Amino acid sequence: MSDETRAIPQMQERTNPVLLFNDECAVCRGIGRWVQTSAQGKSGKASIIVRPIGNDAEELRLLDPELDIWDAYATIHVLMPDGSMKLGGEAVAEVLRDLRNTKWFAWCFAVSIFGFRPFQLVLNIAYAILADVRPLFGCESCGKPSFWLRPIAPTIKWAKSIFGKNRALSGTAHFSSLSTTGPELPPSGELPPQARHF
Amino acid sequence: MMNETPENPRTTPRSMSSDHLRTVTASTFKLWVLEGKGPIAVEFMSYGCIHCREIEPVLQQVADMVKSKEKIFRVNTADDQELTDSYEIQGTPTVVMFLNGKEVGRAEGPPPTVSSLLTALTHPFESNAPARAAKA
Repeated sequence: MSDETRAIPQMQERTNPVLLFNDECAVCRGIGRWVQTSAQGKSGKASIIVRPIGNDAEELRLLDPELDIWDAYATIHVLMPDGSMKLGGEAVAEVLRDLRNTKWFAWCFAVSIFGFRPFQLVLNIAYAILADVRPLFGCESCGKPSFWLRPIAPTIKWAKSIFGKNRALSGTAHFSSLSTTGPELPPSGELPPQARHF
Repeated sequence: MMNETPENPRTTPRSMSSDHLRTVTASTFKLWVLEGKGPIAVEFMSYGCIHCREIEPVLQQVADMVKSKEKIFRVNTADDQELTDSYEIQGTPTVVMFLNGKEVGRAEGPPPTVSSLLTALTHPFESNAPARAAKA
């Protein structure tokens, strides 16, 4: 491989935060769409740029050389104009601060009491729960449900029958991971032997 | 996006010097895999797949271990739906083993451990060893 192709791409200049969302996940797509709509100002200029993560690791590194595509899919990322990155609950707080509909209450996430930010902590927990329940709503790339969700496998099945068929909304053919297409979880929550590999 | 040609291969991610897997696309699959000599493994993966993420560091490790005798490529199923369909990939990660252009085995959702993955990636070629010797 030539030195040219090995070179680390330069970070693109940006004036607005960039929200990266998982476009293989129905929940994330929906939230991304909502943020995009809410971010449009009267002048037509968006307060936050919303873009799917996509499948090109190199293109993603043009946004930030430190940005790893695997990490981008694992948790929500907001790339800040100063070159920093916000992840998870911190990223959600940043998005809420940038939207005109939500910035009126988003100040609370910065409130610190003796170095402890209670509202941010609540938001972090809420984000973690949302990330865990995404498989319920037809996220095709979110893997098998977390351990605490397995006892309610029948509910998952029911919810998927309602929400899980929305892949056609994007017009994109999505490829499911084996875990999501594997054998159904038994009510006990224990994985069947043939599903342990997935 | 940079245009990929057999002369200008794309590795993903580019800046990772420890990346032992080349990304192969529909345009390079024939040259690199089907016309490639010796044992070749192709991982069909997706960046949005949690299990592919789990297996990635292990696969890199295994690829480093077998690099002298086996080439390992990856196909991004989201980018190359046609390849994915033509090999009837049911889920990710799936590793398909090729020997002199012919599929000799596959591992669907292999466990993310070095020993399991090493076995999955080398066993099909060991089974075909007599045929290889005869051919040589």
